[in-house]
Amino acid sequence: MVGRLLDSMTLGRKAQRLLMLIILLVLAACTSREVIVEGTFPTPLVDPVPVSVGVLFTQEFKEHELVDDATGRGEVSWRVSTGTAQVEFWSTLFPAFFQNVVFIESYADLQAYDVDAVLIPQVADVQYAIPLYTNVKVYEIWMRYNLALAEPEQIIDEENATISLENMQPFAEWPLTSYGKTPTAFMQSDIDAVNLAAVMALRDAGANFITSFLRVPGVMDWIKNPEEAQ
Amino acid sequence: MKRALLYVLMLGGLLGGCVTANVDEMTFDAPVAGMGEGSIVVLGRRHAPDYDTEPDFIDCIGNHISRGSESISVIPERQFVDTLYPWFEPRTAPLSIESVGRLMMLPSVANKLEDLDLNYMIWIDGRTQDTNSSGSMTCGVGPTGAGCFGFGTWGTESEYEATIWNFDDGAEVGKMSALTSGQSYMPAVVVPIPIIAPVQDTACDSLGTQLLRYLSAGS
Repeated sequence: MVGRLLDSMTLGRKAQRLLMLIILLVLAACTSREVIVEGTFPTPLVDPVPVSVGVLFTQEFKEHELVDDATGRGEVSWRVSTGTAQVEFWSTLFPAFFQNVVFIESYADLQAYDVDAVLIPQVADVQYAIPLYTNVKVYEIWMRYNLALAEPEQIIDEENATISLENMQPFAEWPLTSYGKTPTAFMQSDIDAVNLAAVMALRDAGANFITSFLRVPGVMDWIKNPEEAQ
Repeated sequence: MKRALLYVLMLGGLLGGCVTANVDEMTFDAPVAGMGEGSIVVLGRRHAPDYDTEPDFIDCIGNHISRGSESISVIPERQFVDTLYPWFEPRTAPLSIESVGRLMMLPSVANKLEDLDLNYMIWIDGRTQDTNSSGSMTCGVGPTGAGCFGFGTWGTESEYEATIWNFDDGAEVGKMSALTSGQSYMPAVVVPIPIIAPVQDTACDSLGTQLLRYLSAGS
């Protein structure tokens, strides 16, 4: 349609191409929203759990993003990148929550550090709702994580000298849910509102983690005797 | 053109006079003496599924109290919630003063609250929302320019309740509320001129004044 419209105009080939590019860029901007979640995250006020933990952020976790393509007329495509904010948030929370924390990046790290267990958070699902879909003047984000605590030996692949989660058998494994919402009234744009809802969801995930960690089956026994994980 | 603009401005002035705000105030447990010098925090309730108490309204109440009394130090909401993270998030915030007692059993939280030297914690719950709306407006763009013509009107209602917790006594010591409403108008002859009823600002002034009176009673 855009091509036919341009053909009807008296324009040179180059000018037509440029105009088409501009029109397509404008149309794309109108129908998609991209949010790279950003925020400042406070250090939690907690009495640290007396254990030594290695934290492993997988590549999927570091690069996590929610992609929702528009399917109907009037809908907008959304791409919400949470990975960087996830890493920043949990990197603030874990060192305050556990007495000793090291971040595991490689097989060599696992060999070098003596930790009681390795904690692996994974994002299982992220969903969102905006006023366009719900008719409620709030922006909402839901997150669901799967967390696992495993002995370091469980994720070592000695043969290939790498980290492998394939055959991991964690001694504690649990889901964690979180929710964040933002009213539209004081926000300036959809993007700001979704960003803030995501930040609120991250904060809620942290609150949920801190208040529920000691009730996770297997965790209390491990804390009492961290040298011998279940 | 100049005459049309003049009429619009006159109409705006006339309707501006019609903007009203009704205030309904209730106070329980009237105080005997003010808090004197000390610090308070004003916090918004954020656990309802369909609304949040607006952060700018909380700031407005805090500023109102700060301006009204030099002896009262108001800790900003964001600073307080971040300092005590995660204990005042929507999921974890205490719903009663008794829950604060349980929170104080955590040594780190108890120490931090002691450092802040907090005398009162004030919770605000409520929101401002548009109610009825009517009228119509059409806007157009032509070779000679653009313009709008029509008339729109809408109602706004604010309803807020403040609950005061006394940290020294460990008790809930007061509740007060403000209910305001008003009608906003938008006439348009070429240019739309919004005449907004300051409903939320009036609620802030009303509740802020009540709280200030409570906190500085007798002084």
